[in-house]
Amino acid sequence: MEIISKISKGTKMDQIYIPKNRPGLDIGTYVKIIPIEETIIKRPYFYNIKEIEPIKLELVNKIFNIIETSITYENIIISGSFLEKGFSFNDIDVLLIKNEKLNEKGLQAKLENQLKIEMHLIHMTEGEFRKALVIDPIWRLVTNKCMAIKRIPPLPTPKLNYKYLDLQQLKSELLIINFDYSSGNEKYKWTRNLMAIYLFIKNKKLTKENIEKEIERKFNLKIEDIKNNIVEKEFLRKYKEFYKKFEKEIIKNAAKQEKIN
Amino acid sequence: MPQNRKKLIDLFIGNLSNVIVHEIMEEATESEEIASHYKKEVENSLGISRKYRSKINPTTAILSEKDAEYIKKKLINKVKSKLKERISDGYENIDLNLIEELANKYLKESKIS
Repeated sequence: MEIISKISKGTKMDQIYIPKNRPGLDIGTYVKIIPIEETIIKRPYFYNIKEIEPIKLELVNKIFNIIETSITYENIIISGSFLEKGFSFNDIDVLLIKNEKLNEKGLQAKLENQLKIEMHLIHMTEGEFRKALVIDPIWRLVTNKCMAIKRIPPLPTPKLNYKYLDLQQLKSELLIINFDYSSGNEKYKWTRNLMAIYLFIKNKKLTKENIEKEIERKFNLKIEDIKNNIVEKEFLRKYKEFYKKFEKEIIKNAAKQEKIN
Repeated sequence: MPQNRKKLIDLFIGNLSNVIVHEIMEEATESEEIASHYKKEVENSLGISRKYRSKINPTTAILSEKDAEYIKKKLINKVKSKLKERISDGYENIDLNLIEELANKYLKESKIS
C-alpha cells in the first residue's frame, strides 16, 4: 500500500499525518519515507529571453520547487549571467520577493546542497523591490531580462536620487584602481555598472544591448575586448576621464538635490 | 620598500578606501535598505584588498610599525579626500568620525596593525 502525505512542522519533532482508517500500515509497522518526484511544474514568465537551454529550464524548475516547498513568497526572479547563452556563469542570481522575514542563508544553503550549484540569493520585500525599481538602474536592468514564477508588474516611473547613484557608481572606480590586475569579467562588470547609471540619468531604456552599444561607442572598442581582457591603456585613459567627469556631475546634482529637500 | 611591494600596498589601500567610502556613504543615504542589497559587491572589494594583503610580506604576522603607520595615514587621507569632495559640494550626513574607526577595524582584520 502507498500513501502520499506532507511533512508538517511539529514543536519537538516534525510529523507526517496519515488517515486513521487505512487498509494496512498498522501501528508499529516500520516504514520507509522517501520524497515523491517533484510535481509542481509551473510555467514561468520569460522577460526578453528568446531561447534557453532545456537543462537550464529544468534547473530553474528545481529552484522554484525547492523554494515553493520551503517557504511562502510573493515572487521568485531568476536573472544574471545564468540566462545568457552557454554555461559560463559562476552562480545563479535568485531574487526572492517575500514580505516576511527570511532565513536567507539557510535557504541559500538548501538550494546549494540540493543542486550543487552556487547561488546568490537576495531577499527583498515587495516595497523594497518597488523602491529599487524606481531609483536603481541595476535592478531595472535585472528585470529587463529574467524569469519569474509570477508576473512582474510594469516598471514604475524612474526617479533620480543622485546621492544613491553616487554610491552605486563608486563601484566602477575599482576598474581604475585595479586595471592592471583585474580580469576581463571584472572590468566588464564595472564598466557596465557605470554605463547603466549614465543611461539611467539620460532617461534611456536599460537593456544589456543598449548598455553594451554605449560602452562600445564611448570607448571605441568591442565588448569582447573587455571581456577577454585585451584592452589597452588608451581605454583606461578614456574610462578615467569619463568616470571623473561623470562623478563630478553626480556629486553636484546630489548636493543640489539635498539642498532642495 | 621594493617597487612591487609598494605597488601591492597601494592596491590594498585603493581597494580598502573604496570599501570605507562606500560604507560611510551607505549610512548617509536615505535608501540604505536598498543599498544594503549590494553587500556582495562590497564584500568583493574587500576580497580584492585581502587578496593583495596576502601578497604583502609578512603575510601571517602584522606589519612593521612604520609600514602600518604609512598605510593607515594614506588610507585615511584617501577616504577623507573622497568624502570632503562631497561635503564641500553640499553633502550632508557624512560622518567623518567613522573614517578612523573603520580604518582601524579593517586594518586590524587584515593584520596590518
